[in-house]
Amino acid sequence: MDRVRRFKLLLWSICGLAFAVAFRRFLLGLGSSTNLNDGTPWGLWVGFDVMGGVALAAGGFVITATVYILKKEEFHPIVRPAVLTAFLGYAAVAVGLLADLGLPWHIWHPTIYWQHHSALFEVAWCVMLYLTVLALEFLPVPLESFPRLGKIRNFLVKNRLILVILGIMLSTLHQSSLGTLFLIMPYRLHALWYTPILPLLFFISAISLGLMMVSMESLITSYLYRREPETHLLTKLCKVAAWVLGGYLIVRILDLLVRGEYLAIFENSWQSWWFIIEILISAIIPIVLFTSKLTRGKLGWITLGVVSGVSGFVLNRLNVGGIAMAGTTDSFYFPAWTEFAISAGVVSGAALVFLFAIEHFNVWEHPPRDEEDEKPYTLPRFAPVGTIWLGDPHTAGMKRNSMAFVVAAAFGFSLLPFSSLESKGLIKTPANSARGKDIMQIDANRDGFFVTFDHKKHENSLGQTQSCAVCHHAKLPADEQTSCAACHQDVYLVTCIFDHEKHKTWLGGNQSCTQCHPAGQNRSVDTAVECNHCHNAEDASLVLAVQESPIRMDQLNMAGSYVDAMHGLCVTCHKEIAERIYRPLHGTCTTCHPFVAEESKYEWDKLTQTTASPRWVISTPLLQENIDVEKLKESVAAQ
Amino acid sequence: MLEFWLELAKGPIFRFSFALCVLGLARIVMLSAWGAAKAYYAAGDKELPYSLIWRTTIHWLFPIRMGLRNRPFFSIVSILFHIGLIIVPIFLFAHIQLWYQGAGLWWPAIPRHLAEFLTVTTILSAILLFLARVWSSASRHISRGQEFMWPLLLIIPFLSGFFCSHPAWSPLSYNAMLLIHILSGNFILLLIPLTKISHCILTPFSQFISELGWHFPKNSAKDVEITLGKQGQPI
Repeated sequence: MDRVRRFKLLLWSICGLAFAVAFRRFLLGLGSSTNLNDGTPWGLWVGFDVMGGVALAAGGFVITATVYILKKEEFHPIVRPAVLTAFLGYAAVAVGLLADLGLPWHIWHPTIYWQHHSALFEVAWCVMLYLTVLALEFLPVPLESFPRLGKIRNFLVKNRLILVILGIMLSTLHQSSLGTLFLIMPYRLHALWYTPILPLLFFISAISLGLMMVSMESLITSYLYRREPETHLLTKLCKVAAWVLGGYLIVRILDLLVRGEYLAIFENSWQSWWFIIEILISAIIPIVLFTSKLTRGKLGWITLGVVSGVSGFVLNRLNVGGIAMAGTTDSFYFPAWTEFAISAGVVSGAALVFLFAIEHFNVWEHPPRDEEDEKPYTLPRFAPVGTIWLGDPHTAGMKRNSMAFVVAAAFGFSLLPFSSLESKGLIKTPANSARGKDIMQIDANRDGFFVTFDHKKHENSLGQTQSCAVCHHAKLPADEQTSCAACHQDVYLVTCIFDHEKHKTWLGGNQSCTQCHPAGQNRSVDTAVECNHCHNAEDASLVLAVQESPIRMDQLNMAGSYVDAMHGLCVTCHKEIAERIYRPLHGTCTTCHPFVAEESKYEWDKLTQTTASPRWVISTPLLQENIDVEKLKESVAAQ
Repeated sequence: MLEFWLELAKGPIFRFSFALCVLGLARIVMLSAWGAAKAYYAAGDKELPYSLIWRTTIHWLFPIRMGLRNRPFFSIVSILFHIGLIIVPIFLFAHIQLWYQGAGLWWPAIPRHLAEFLTVTTILSAILLFLARVWSSASRHISRGQEFMWPLLLIIPFLSGFFCSHPAWSPLSYNAMLLIHILSGNFILLLIPLTKISHCILTPFSQFISELGWHFPKNSAKDVEITLGKQGQPI
């Protein structure tokens, strides 16, 4: 049991870490916990948890079909573990899907809102139905411990064949329809992976993967519980798996030949090497190890083959689900560590349930025996630190595991920044000052789209040297050509400009608090005195320019965003003059932002597609003034 | 450098200790409930005066009247100590501001003067409690190391917090004092579920269990001995 104990400790720790990550994911959303983007909306959670999970759960229908339909009774000892693995695999899919759905509380929608043109609709129904079927298939095992519910158990056992047939039917539909999902993206998926027979390939590979997964599960549990490995059965399973794998390999190669895409294997790109690696570890290595006279029937080689095959097919699902699209989407995506944590946590949770079921029900012929349980009453213990009562030793495992969970979760929380501002929703765009002197180029975010501002002309028309204060905060302390960007530091976000540290230093350090914060009151912005308490007419050197500016005193600490400040400054004046001189064009956006209409289509496309500046497009006055963007696009295209 | 450590103490270290405190306490409660349920199902004779046990449990959870009868000075000081200990960290305005900035949570604060008064009473009563424990030989003999440590450890965040709100009297710079304050607070949060401070959530359980023990039927200890097969041995 020592191996199991250590393994469980590890699993509980991973679950704890995943708990912290899940907390954040469900509180703050996908953007805060994944690296997904519009180019790659399906990442690790779909590729591994959903597609990998379903494929790994294929052992259930393969083994039940072998035992109950083909009547190969020799495989009977592994039916229960296989069904349990399948059930937990599908449950893990459902949990992983909850994490991946943007609105997880809509997961029940496919049951009511039917969209029968969608492959995902079929997938959703198959998962739901097959999960139910698997639950009913496995239910007789735990029911053995409840003699009172014998009637239900008898009913389920009597109708087992129906459930088995249903299971095979739903699996066939479902394993293949996961491949169907990708049939709509022939240009997105690389030619080595995209094929019209993807559903067939998914189904065949699921059968072989199911066989290998059952072997792997048997190998792991026999290692953990120090049982005699079922080498005889495993050899037979692997032999069948090798046959299926051979079929898969032939179909895949033939498909490439028929489609004429086989040359892509030799084009020496990363995709071609990736394809070769995938085929090698998913099919060729297992086939060789399972059939060669030297290696078959030997536990070490079987283990190697099974591990290679299973990881190869998980890689295959990841490739189809995303990696093989990277070449065409041109968007970089590598899963965040939080995504790995959730995936690992879901798998660990399923493994823990599996171990629990093995230890408490007759998944095997007899549950494994724990020496700790067999000792009669031992003396109670006290924890060495803090001498807390640890209770009887029989719950020691529970205490140990829960402690591992708690510590790992706390560690996870410490790694995750818990502020919604940290998510990718608000990217900071530092503002830069304008370039030039007489004719200025104002391009605060340096994206190449600037407003041409004739400084000389404005100076002349507003009243020569006396006019600076019309636009500038001329009375800012020590103002010498202070750039707007000095205070309006972000293009879209407000900036706090009150420098607490500097004021503290000016006023005399730690003893100066009460000069602004009244004694005996809680110290905050709300209770502090207003700025003009000191910055008033009595001392001319301290008078703030802001008192004469349109900035409101109650927002004194905050400088508006650069865009808002500039627009407030320019547009207000421009509109006024436009009305006065009866020239409405003088007050429209395109007067200053001409590039929107004049720039080439390429520039426009660049502007609208840049992922970094969707807010730019929204905050552009162009859209605020209800100009029809579609029409504009069309006219640009016509030019 | 100090700013870096402050950020670390306010951010990751605080989140670690706070999460460990909350989850650790939840863990202890669940384990206790599990143990109690297990003992209940294992017990043979379940005929106990439960309504009486409930009533006395709740009665003893607020031991003001009964505590005053026995060692009144110690009881009053202890109650004062607990009032400040619980109220000040939770309802201090500056702490609530931190919660508001970090998580958007907000709840009413106590006035500044009250907070300062309670801080001082807590510090003084902690010292008195420590002295009383050292003074009385009976207390000294039943005390473990952590019993002497806790009053002194709890003084640190309160004293440093007091200096943080009165930087003029502080022997160290504001940031250094703040770092001591935050780190000691984090350390205490960390220790809560691992030491006897877990009584902040376990008291109802232990009180209930000990009340149960008082109302066991006669000679039940003998039955336990026989069931365990441990007659004449320590259990």
